[in-house]
Formats: sequence, structure tokens, C-alpha cells
Amino acid sequence: MKDSPNEAQAPGPKANATPPEAPTSKDGIDLLLLEESLAKTVWERMLANDDALRLADLLHGAMVKTRAKP
Amino acid sequence: MQNLSELTRRLVEAQLEFVLIGGFAAVAHGATLVTRDVDICCRFNEVNLRRIQKALGDLHPVHRSRPDLPLDLTPEQCSGLKNLYLKTDLGVVDCLGEVLAVGNFDAVLKQSVEVELPFGRCRILNLDGLIRAKEAMDRDHDRITVRQLREIKKRHQE
Repeated sequence: MKDSPNEAQAPGPKANATPPEAPTSKDGIDLLLLEESLAKTVWERMLANDDALRLADLLHGAMVKTRAKP
Repeated sequence: MQNLSELTRRLVEAQLEFVLIGGFAAVAHGATLVTRDVDICCRFNEVNLRRIQKALGDLHPVHRSRPDLPLDLTPEQCSGLKNLYLKTDLGVVDCLGEVLAVGNFDAVLKQSVEVELPFGRCRILNLDGLIRAKEAMDRDHDRITVRQLREIKKRHQE
């Protein structure tokens, strides 16, 4: 089915539009990240910390390997 | 490989009398900063210290300041120790007898909350206690953690 030419179109993102910034508190805390964390259970937060640690270690290991290459 | 959740599970299942403090406690409350060690405050008596040894025994625990020295507690050590800084295959576990700006184990216990984890109940230093302890440490990352903890506290009050 074709859209009617008179039908209102949802405004699409403009090519030069600036992406919205994440809301931050007065103290500079990323409130979206904090809300995401608070939506998790205590155990899920602990596991997320471990996931982040593993990723950081993987990245660090890759960096060390790259630097070691002649 | 570090696995702080597994370290916590082992301590809970060993029925160790402890309260989770430090960065991992902040994570448990919702802080988004990543932490690399498990800090606990525990009762420093022989029964409890033996539980730590049993819980971590197969993870090759050594004293952090003396990595050549495996954790092998004697009754004399158990009666004299105030803190225990350990390195294991799954990460660092720092066991403290008291917490700066909060007090000894009994004071820390009074200012803790119980949370239900998949393998049992675990006590965690409450937001006010953790904020006080982090403020007293006054390191750069502690100040960032305190800001997050204050925001979390505000949200709990709303």
C-alpha cells in the first residue's frame, strides 16, 4: 500500500542534526547510566561489573600485544 | 581472570560473618564505576578467618604484600591479625577489621543492609556508611563514587 501524498510524515533525523546529549546531574553524573544501573538487581550489577572488568582486561591485553609488535 | 561475583558467592556460602564495603558495595548500591577488588569488613576471630581460608583455599590465595607467602593461617596469626590483604586466582580480597569513619565490625554491621543474592543473603554497608567511609578516604575515585552514591540516595528518598 502506498502512502497518501497528503499524509503527514514523521520528521526524520536531519543529516546535520546534533545527537542529544545524555542528561547529567549538577555533579556531572551520567543519569542515564545511573538509571540503567538502578534498574538492575544487586546481583545483576555485580555481574555487570565483572563483565566490564573482563572487557577492560581484554582491551588492555590487545593493547599490550599491539605495542609489542615490531 | 577476575571474578568478583564468584569471590562474593564463595564468602557467602562459607558462612563468613562479613559486610561488603568499598567499591563493590558501591556497585551493589548502583554506582557505575568499575571496581577491581572485593573489600569486606569481617570479625577477626579464628573461626571466621578459617572460613576465609576455606572459601578461597583452591584459588591459590597469597598475601598481597608477600606473594611468595600462601595463606596458611596459624592460631597465633588469627589472634594477632587486624587486616588481611589477599590475592587469589579470581582477584583481590581485602579483609578489614574496621572501616575508617564507620568503626569496628559491630559498628559496620549495624550500618549494613541485607540483600538477597541467588546463593544466599549478603550484608552490604548502607549508603550513609559507605558515603562516610569514601569521604574519609578522599581519593579522586572515591569523590566520584560519593557523588554517585549521593544521587542514588536522593533517588531513594524521592
